[in-house]
Order: sequence, then structure tokens, then C-alpha cells
Amino acid sequence: MEDLFINFLGKPEGIIVSQLIAAARFTVYLSLIAFLGGGLIAMVITFCRVIPNQTLNFFSYSYTWLFQSVPLLMMLFLVGLGIPRFIGIDIDPWIAAGISLTIFTSAYLSEVWRGAILAIPKGQWEGGKALNLSFRQTLILIILPQALRYGIAPTISFLIQIIKGTSLAYIIGFHDLMLLGKRWANAPVPGSEPFIIFPLMALIYFSLCYPLAIFAKRMEKRSLKY
Amino acid sequence: MEFRFFEIYRSVEYLELLMEGILVSAGLTLFAGVLGFILAFILAAFIYWRVVLLNVICIAYVDFIRNTPLIVQLFFVTFGLPSLLGYVWPFWCHALLALTINFSGYFAEILRSGYLSIPKGQLEAAAALNMNRLVTFRKIILPQTIIKMFPSLSSQFIFIFLTTGVISEIGVNDLTHAGLFIDSRTFRSFEIFITLTILYIILSLIFKISLELLFKNTLGKRG
Repeated sequence: MEDLFINFLGKPEGIIVSQLIAAARFTVYLSLIAFLGGGLIAMVITFCRVIPNQTLNFFSYSYTWLFQSVPLLMMLFLVGLGIPRFIGIDIDPWIAAGISLTIFTSAYLSEVWRGAILAIPKGQWEGGKALNLSFRQTLILIILPQALRYGIAPTISFLIQIIKGTSLAYIIGFHDLMLLGKRWANAPVPGSEPFIIFPLMALIYFSLCYPLAIFAKRMEKRSLKY
Repeated sequence: MEFRFFEIYRSVEYLELLMEGILVSAGLTLFAGVLGFILAFILAAFIYWRVVLLNVICIAYVDFIRNTPLIVQLFFVTFGLPSLLGYVWPFWCHALLALTINFSGYFAEILRSGYLSIPKGQLEAAAALNMNRLVTFRKIILPQTIIKMFPSLSSQFIFIFLTTGVISEIGVNDLTHAGLFIDSRTFRSFEIFITLTILYIILSLIFKISLELLFKNTLGKRG
């Protein structure tokens, strides 16, 4: 693929573009890890927030509140530098970035999904009760299928936040689009000036995020139709 | 494996650094937030009124800002623009410009969707009362939008405040910068980052509460 870019854009721009696109791969991987891991935790947290149990409600509420309030940057510093130095271990940037972004994602997604569940009219819950369905049956058979409709658009929108959030992971040495681009911008190579590299990086991030934004907008319109 | 927070607290120098960092972080965010809101107001008006050509440019601008990370915008504004246009600014001006641009994109989107959420019947009623477009906007659309969208605006403001730590990357002596400096001196990373986290949470709570109070005492009374 590199040759193709070099043929098209010449050196060194071709090399830079192909390297940036290759590094964007890790941005995508990290986003997927955070999205899947965070989604799993968020499911548990959301479940704990909607079931009628005060202790679990309180814990899941505190979890969401705490990790929504902690800046992502501080989370990265804490997981990537603070805690490892405190215990005296070395941690791989992949693991540190994965953990911080997963926690960040889980806190926000659980809030989004709780909102989707709360958007369902109370009558639906009461209807489930009237039909002698258990809480779990009501949730799975009646509430969740309807909540899905409200939940998809904001979930996709949040995926954009995750992709943008991964750009901070370079601070703890995670090798992704951001780190490589910054290195190229600092390199004294003609053709890799900051005013070329950074718009290029922005363009790559944009082409990752914008299709999702359009998709989210379309889903939102569709969910409003019903 | 022991907490040694006292290494931070006992030094007057470190406490002063943190205090200065708080003021710089909060001040820059607030200033950028206000400037960003003004810019967003203009952008959203162009988009809402479908001003020829300008609305396309504004939509593209808003979409581009919303779909690229703050840190890339910051680096472009700090390292790209000055070498392209040949000006020299202090670091905090670059940070202010980047944050303003970022704020304006998000606020413009919120305002735009607020304008569009006003029911059509009200606009027709205004037209029936012979109000022109400007009066309709000022008397009917704007007040309702601000009241309706205030929660979104304030939570977006706080979300961006929580990411302003990245301006330390270009050498602005904000709260994160102070923390990193203390970390490099003492190597008590865990303690210092916990301290910073708590300070950020407290600051965002102060912002949230004061925004709510401001809303209650001004516009909230009408709505």
C-alpha cells in the first residue's frame, strides 16, 4: 500500500500518509476494546441501576458519578503512571490505555442506556406486572426491545467520543495515530511541517468519526418517527 | 507502598503552583466558553437562517470540529497556524483560541437543534402577528432555546472543562501542568494524580452549581 501512496503523492508525503493510516489501525483497535469492554461493564451497571435494590442502585450510581467526573486524562495518568509506580510494577501502554478507556466508556454508556430505559413509559412496567411477568421477564421481553430504539443513536454518538478520547492515550506512550503524527510533525523533514501533518491527522480522525455521526443522526430520526 | 501526600502539602511552592494552575485552568475555560458561545451564536444563526454559502461553510466547520479530537485542533492551532501565517503568540493565547474553536463547534450544534425544536405553530403565530424574522428570533425562538438547552450547554461546558488538561501539552501552566511538574520533582505520581483528580472534580462541581444558580436567577424565572 505504501508504494501506491508514494506513486501518488511522492516522497515524503506518500510515506507519511501511509504510515499515518497504518497507525490509525491502533486507534481503531483501542476504540473497539474500550467500546466492547466498556459496553459489557455498562450492561452490568445499567442492570444494577434499574433493578429495585437500593444497595446496588447506590453503588452503580456512585460508579457512574465518579467515573464521569474523573477527567479521562487523569484516569490515563493514574492507571498508566500513578498506580504502577505506587505498587512498583511496569504496565504496558496497551493495558493501561485499555483499562482507562474501558472505565471511561462504561460510566458514560451506562448513563446513556439508563436514559433509554427510563424513556419507556411506566405503563409498560405496570403492564408487565399485570401479566404476572417477573421483573427480569418484563425487562427482557418488554422494556429492552423498546429501549433499544432510543439507545442506538446516542450509543453510536458516544463511539465518536471514544475514538476522539483515544487520541489522549499517546500521553502514556500508546503508539497510535496521535503519537506517530506528533513525531512526524517534530521531524525536520521538508513536507512534514505541522501545518500539513495536523490537518492530515484531523482528516483521518474525521473520516473515522463522520460516518458514525451520519449513521447516528439517521437512527435518531428513525427512532423519532415511531 | 505508602501514601505520602504530605510531600505535596508541606511545600508552599507546590501549593502555590497548584493554586495558580486552578486559576489558569478555570479562567481559560471560562473565557474560552464565553467566546465560544458568542461564536457559536453567530454560526448557529447563519445555519438556521440558511444564509447563502455561509451556512454550508458553517455546517462543515461545526461537523469538522465535532468529529476531530481537541488535541489535534490544539496542536494545529499552536504549531501549524503560526508557522503558516508567521505570528508569535504566548502559549495561553493558542490554548484560548483552540478551546474557543472547540467550544463554538459543540455549542453551535446545541443551539441549532434548539432553534429547530421550536414548534412551527409558534412561528406561524408570530408571522400572523406581523412580527418580522428578527423580532421572532429575539422574542420567541432565542429565549425558549436558551431555557430548553441550558442543561445541554452546561454539561457540554463541564465535559470540555474536564478535557482541558491537554493544554498542558503545549506548555500552558494549567492544573495538569502543575501536577506533572510536581510529579517530576517528587516522583509521588499516585498521590499527585489523585490530588489533581479531586481538584478537577471539585472545580467541575463548582462550575455546575454556579451555572445552575445563574440559570435559576436569570432565565429560569421566566420558564
